[in-house]
Amino acid sequence: MTRRFIEMALAVAGAVFLVTVPWSIPALIDNFWVSVITEILIWSLFAASVNLLFGYVGLLSFGQALYFGFGMYGVALGIDRLGLSFWPAFGLGIAAAMTMALVSGIFAVRLSWHYFAIITVVFSLIFYFLAVSMKPLTGGDDGINFTLPPVFRLDGKAIGLTDPTFQYFFVLAAVSLCFFLMYRLINSPLGKGFLAIRDNNLRASLIGLNVYALRLIAFVMAGFLAGVSGALFAFFGRYASATYMFYQVSGEAVVWTIVGGAGTMFGPLVGTALFIVIREIVSSHWEHHSLIVGLLAILSVIFAPRGIVGLWNGWMARLGERETVKKAPSRLTLRAEP
Amino acid sequence: MSEPVLRTENLTRRFGGLTAIDNLSISLSGGRIHAIIGPNGAGKTTFFNLVTGLLGPSSGRIYFRGRDITGCRPYVISRMGIKRTLQVKSVFPDLNVADNLWITRQARNRFLNPFRAATSDKETRTRVEQTLQQIGLSALAERPAGTLSYGDVAMLEIGMALISEPSLLLLDEPTCGMSPAETSRAVAKIRDLARSIDIVIIEHDMDVVFGIADDITVFAQGAILASGNPAAIADDERVREAYLGRPEDEDFMEEASHA
Amino acid sequence: MRDTVLLLAMNGLIWGLIIALIALGLSIIFGLLDIINIAHGDFFMVGTVLAWFSLSVTGNFWIGFLVAPLIGFLLGAIIQRLVIQPIHGVAALSIVATFGLSLILQETVRITFGATPRRILAPIGGTVPLFGVDYEIYRLFAAAVAVAALAGFFLFLQHTRLGIWMRAVRHDRETAIAMGIPARRVYVMTFGIGFALAAFGGAVAAPITTVDFRGGVDVLPFCFMAVIIGGLGNLPGTVAAAVLLSFLEGLIQSVADPTIARISSLVLMSAVLMLRPQGLFGGFTK
Repeated sequence: MTRRFIEMALAVAGAVFLVTVPWSIPALIDNFWVSVITEILIWSLFAASVNLLFGYVGLLSFGQALYFGFGMYGVALGIDRLGLSFWPAFGLGIAAAMTMALVSGIFAVRLSWHYFAIITVVFSLIFYFLAVSMKPLTGGDDGINFTLPPVFRLDGKAIGLTDPTFQYFFVLAAVSLCFFLMYRLINSPLGKGFLAIRDNNLRASLIGLNVYALRLIAFVMAGFLAGVSGALFAFFGRYASATYMFYQVSGEAVVWTIVGGAGTMFGPLVGTALFIVIREIVSSHWEHHSLIVGLLAILSVIFAPRGIVGLWNGWMARLGERETVKKAPSRLTLRAEP
Repeated sequence: MSEPVLRTENLTRRFGGLTAIDNLSISLSGGRIHAIIGPNGAGKTTFFNLVTGLLGPSSGRIYFRGRDITGCRPYVISRMGIKRTLQVKSVFPDLNVADNLWITRQARNRFLNPFRAATSDKETRTRVEQTLQQIGLSALAERPAGTLSYGDVAMLEIGMALISEPSLLLLDEPTCGMSPAETSRAVAKIRDLARSIDIVIIEHDMDVVFGIADDITVFAQGAILASGNPAAIADDERVREAYLGRPEDEDFMEEASHA
Repeated sequence: MRDTVLLLAMNGLIWGLIIALIALGLSIIFGLLDIINIAHGDFFMVGTVLAWFSLSVTGNFWIGFLVAPLIGFLLGAIIQRLVIQPIHGVAALSIVATFGLSLILQETVRITFGATPRRILAPIGGTVPLFGVDYEIYRLFAAAVAVAALAGFFLFLQHTRLGIWMRAVRHDRETAIAMGIPARRVYVMTFGIGFALAAFGGAVAAPITTVDFRGGVDVLPFCFMAVIIGGLGNLPGTVAAAVLLSFLEGLIQSVADPTIARISSLVLMSAVLMLRPQGLFGGFTK
């Protein structure tokens, strides 16, 4: 049983599972869980935006909900107020999120990580309060609802997300594409540049990397991911609300990412899935599921500081090597600025 | 008369009430290994920090091969060809050894490609393999740099200096903390490098200094105390005094007098 | 109109003094242990709840002033020992840990205290004419208590052994340890004191705010604003910033709605972070 075999088998099993969800899940459990899994996919993309910044560039952003919100409202307002059809609205949401990320990133990525974390919250809070106060436009915390335009027309028949199976596959395709792009990015020269900055940003500037520019690029890319997930969320729920721009939403994504495993490809997916599944299962029997979530967060940082996927990678590494490997320093030890 | 590699004009750097670099006008010519020595707190590392752009001067100017680099950002100065190592060995701990070299090489490019796989860049890969052989770390290529022994990290730093093909290399106490065997290895490598690269080295190990330096400049309290070839410096009374004056550096005095 | 401005401004000033206590707790936790404590607003909330419980159990409001900080200190010390220490204070992990803590605190309160917000009647009723406005006596009293507590805290820092140790560790951790200061114990105490300060602030504030399991959510960002604008590690700066911010928000509230006031504070905070990250009054740069 080599490491490669196990990982390949897992990958295939995972892919098969995901592709057959609209049929296997209702048969085994319940129709409702198809939409839960759809939600998990959407939120894992949001967690991936946190992961890109924190796990690969070393920037802890606590305000990704801001770009999620721009993606969400871009779609909602695009459809509701501007009468846009599906794809233009999608595009508007993503463009809005990326633009906002660029504008706020210009200021934010100059700061060292403590202040960066704080300013990302501050920016997201400012816009949260703005959204709440502009209730006629945004619906505030209550939000706005809208009807979904079709995704595309085939032979005169409109195909849209109102069909749960189509919706599931649409989300799956979008999320998979984004994860694939992330995968290519991490293994590209730019990706290695990110890792260098994460590891030692002083050294990175000394070898000639423009740390500021690279961080800004990463920030906009993360804004893209958050924007896509926000747009998908709006499509999924036909709904947008300022509540999803609040810092607690950002905070949850940070927890999902770190518990799942920051700096790993699938960490955000695992972490998001874990917490949402627990929430769904526990809350149907006991209303105080937040206690479990809180306890899980605490226990996992004490016993699995590199996250679940990090733990798994550790086991796999031991499996794949014969000689003893000295334990590498924890990737989560952020180095202080000199 | 050829342009000096590195030249400063009345360079001053203050930190609040403390003057770390005091009206320093130094001129280092090419083709020779320069050593900078001096007691602790003399401003040697501050000088490197100013040259590489990590600090801005309070006043004065810095010229690299005739170009005014005063106030330029660190990565800009790096791209001009000035590379340095740090006093505390500093690499990319979570990247493996090969990737450390890889990214150092790639950092020269203005544009880092986000689409192609990193491994597809043949030119860089070949250079990385060559450099690994030159520094003797080929066997450790896949190991995370953070797990390397101290001596190997130092060699990796030298490898990173090599692969970046600098025009001027600033080494800050490269043999600090090394065993005698590691030190000889490092000294040999530095001599190799000096054949094609201009080098300025800060060192406390007097054997190393008097062994490889062509010119020595002695810093004290942010200014030049003395400069000249090794023999002249060894005989200089003021140099002995500067070291003698600080009891904790008595062993430096010992070494300087035996050089 | 003038009455409202004065009233809101004074409310802001007094609230600022109370928040200063809470923000101080956050500042020492942030400054000494390098932890972004997401649960700090909930420490305050627990204080309000403890005040409510003391009142309903004993019929005496003032007992809360003792119970809240005491239990707060114990809880803080236990949390530090059980949760913070095992993760060696790694900053990113402690964010997740304090987030989990925040959920646990909120939910525990929801279970024991209930989900409905309640009010406590001010133990000292009545108003007194002040600057032409009839001002609640309890608010003035609360301000006095807050000032006394702040003064007491700074005296503690200057003159007690633990206080001196805390200042030493904050200033230079390694040298402090080398000099024989028991850093671990200092961390435990610091977290405990941080919780106690916030809880005490909660007890004092209970009659002028609602006792609600979500009461900490609003307080948290405000405390961070005070700490940042005041200057990281600058304790008197934190106090000044808390009072100033709250006062300004009070003033703005008289001409615009509270949301706008909050947005203005946040914008001010962004400006400080970008232009002068060491705070308006200067502090250690991190």
